[in-house]
Amino acid sequence: MIYSVRHTTTFRYEPAVRESVMEVRLQPRSDGEQRCLSFALDVDPAANIMQYRDFTGNTVHHFDIAGSYKQVKVTAQSAVEVQSVPAPRTSDSGDWADLDALVAANDHWEMLLPSHFAHSSEPLERLAKELKCERRGNPLVLLTEINESIYTMFAYVKNSTKVDSPIEEALQARQGVCQDFAHIMIALVRPLKIPCRYVSGYMFHRDEDENDRSLEGASHAWVEALVPGWGWVAFDPTNNLVGGDRHIRVAIGRDYADVPPTRGVYKGEAQSELSVAVTVSPADNVAPEPITPSFVVRSRPVLVRAAARSEQEQQQQ
Amino acid sequence: MNPTEAPLTLFRPPFRNYQFDAAYDEMFAAPGTPREHYKALFQTLLELPAEQLRKTQQAADLSFLHQGITFTVYGNDEGTERVFPNDLLPRIIPHQEWRKIETGLTQRIAALNLFLEDIYHHGRILADGVVPRELVYSCRHFRREMRGLTVPRGIYVSICGTDLVRLPDGSFAVLEDNLRVPSGVSYMLANRKVLKKVFPTLFRDYGVCPVDHYAQALLATLRALAPATSSTRHEPKVVLLTPGVFNSAYFEHTFLAQQMGIELVEGRDLLVHDNIVYMRTTAGLRRVDVIYRRVDDDFLDPLCFRQDSSLGVPGLFNAYRAGNVVLANAIGTGVADDKAMYAYVPAIIRYYLGEDPILANVQTYLLTDRSQRSYVLEHLDELVVKAVGESGGYGMLIGPHSTEAEREEFRQRIEAEPRNYIAQPTLSLSRAPCFLEGEVQARHVDLRPYILYGENVTLVPGGLTRVALRRGSLVVNSSQGGGSKDTWVLRA
Repeated sequence: MIYSVRHTTTFRYEPAVRESVMEVRLQPRSDGEQRCLSFALDVDPAANIMQYRDFTGNTVHHFDIAGSYKQVKVTAQSAVEVQSVPAPRTSDSGDWADLDALVAANDHWEMLLPSHFAHSSEPLERLAKELKCERRGNPLVLLTEINESIYTMFAYVKNSTKVDSPIEEALQARQGVCQDFAHIMIALVRPLKIPCRYVSGYMFHRDEDENDRSLEGASHAWVEALVPGWGWVAFDPTNNLVGGDRHIRVAIGRDYADVPPTRGVYKGEAQSELSVAVTVSPADNVAPEPITPSFVVRSRPVLVRAAARSEQEQQQQ
Repeated sequence: MNPTEAPLTLFRPPFRNYQFDAAYDEMFAAPGTPREHYKALFQTLLELPAEQLRKTQQAADLSFLHQGITFTVYGNDEGTERVFPNDLLPRIIPHQEWRKIETGLTQRIAALNLFLEDIYHHGRILADGVVPRELVYSCRHFRREMRGLTVPRGIYVSICGTDLVRLPDGSFAVLEDNLRVPSGVSYMLANRKVLKKVFPTLFRDYGVCPVDHYAQALLATLRALAPATSSTRHEPKVVLLTPGVFNSAYFEHTFLAQQMGIELVEGRDLLVHDNIVYMRTTAGLRRVDVIYRRVDDDFLDPLCFRQDSSLGVPGLFNAYRAGNVVLANAIGTGVADDKAMYAYVPAIIRYYLGEDPILANVQTYLLTDRSQRSYVLEHLDELVVKAVGESGGYGMLIGPHSTEAEREEFRQRIEAEPRNYIAQPTLSLSRAPCFLEGEVQARHVDLRPYILYGENVTLVPGGLTRVALRRGSLVVNSSQGGGSKDTWVLRA
């Protein structure tokens, strides 16, 4: 299956800002069952776009914009081929000893240790107990069960949490968005010594998939866990899916903090508004320009002050 | 040693109250018997009238005040800036002893740089199981962003300050490595300037190795790291990046920038455009090649590290990654001076150099290890506990000088976060004569030599001798009531 993806991010500032420096992770990966066939990034106002690969192999584009302006628009257009793979079968998947051997043979520490968003806490421990998160049965069966439990126990409520909300909010309210569910799943399975990583990307929505809870027109997040016999397998607790060819992977990291689609800094004291629009379509239908953004975030001005005294008072050795 | 058996000379002024204990005494081989290299100083002190010594001390104090040699104590609203206490009497190190320190430190910095290059590239030492992976990845100062990034000459640590202590048997041991933003070298230079003035004859007769060329050596080191592209354009532009006037070492930042003849800048003075770093000047933008940064990794670039930081330069890390600017020290060196990693440094030296360490380590208990942890928790009243990522004497428990409440607090902290602490035996640091309250008294000292690594490894002879000025205290950090004294390494 070949998909065409258009991802538009618009930042509006009032009054104008200057010296924006931005990094974006928008180029789909070429690994596993997926190839990025083409990618184009457009920035308005114009800027020289440079790129590098980060420590997990994601392609990062970055640029700075001189002058002053009230709007920055970043448009990424890509064509991605995703091969359909059969769903992993328990009969071909290894047991816990196989998993331990796999972990010992490679360096998976990064995806085993707690990270910024995916870490233990009291509400998480309670959930782990409730779900009987312990090494039992077979790794694949247990992962599938946890994936489904998050799907059934947590309500998907748009805008119920923010990008920087700790998972405790979602754990307490038993509701959240895809990012929360991914972090909760990671935090549940890493203590079992199953390497687990965060994936940001897109989902292709079809009318016939009535169980889909993720939003059409937005980016999506799920996890990949290491399963003996199958390698990295995608688990999507938002939609109760395991594997599949409707997921388009853009970036992988320990959690969201490693892979935000856009990150930037600017100078000026302004009210800002961020809006994002995403379309995913089969490649024979060229993605139309989206009309309405899928979500909008408004922020109050951030006071750019002289370097705070507390920051200057850092230790010198 | 029983002081009552000491020869009478010792109890003559100004040595009337000079005390001995189990610690190594820098000046005396036995009470009243000075070591060979201290004889001339001892004689001078016996001969100088007390009044004269006091006047000399006053002249020295005044000189420090006039030079504006200060440091800042945090968490104190009024009068945060203080004159750095200096002790009048030099600490003297014979040439042979210094040679050993020099070769030992050269060995250590070579191994630590190889270690940093390895863990940010292939990780051989981790694959071979010499250093546990978990220790590296769980270190707060490990920067995954540095993976695969090549730094000029493979040098991560080009400015290092290593803390040495002298043990009761007279040997030097390494207490900690400071591989991020070591400070204090300006006090070494200031101490020398003042001592040369107040003890001109003694200084000349002793034949002391000079230290005055430190700033030039530092500048040469920084230039040696400049990107290859800069030499074809112009002489590399080097700047010193400071967190600002509220930083404890701001005096040192201004002092070193002035001595090297380079600009002192804050983050807001720099900007990055198309992966090139520029300095804003009245004549427009000027390209920067090398940044001697005295700002922590966390605050260097809000795009890459702490987003709430307003001290840094957005985009700096990308320019660094592209090789368009050099940072000294490199980013991510803190993983090698983590106090838990310290325990592995002897193994690191053997692994990369195939040599035994020339300078010993101090015994260190890793609290992530169950049996070591339970031993430490049972012996908190005897041991020193330190937070692994801290410096400046903060976050520390000195068992023998602690209260039950303090020990209980550390017990809880250790149990909550064992990776965050290490423990060491309470060391008896050596003691050196100091001029205090109008007489000569013994106080505990350490030694911080400064190592530069550019085209090659350079040490200016000596370094900063830090003194625990309070009687009986073992803490030499300036932030904790310590002072310093000039260090004389003899030519022969």
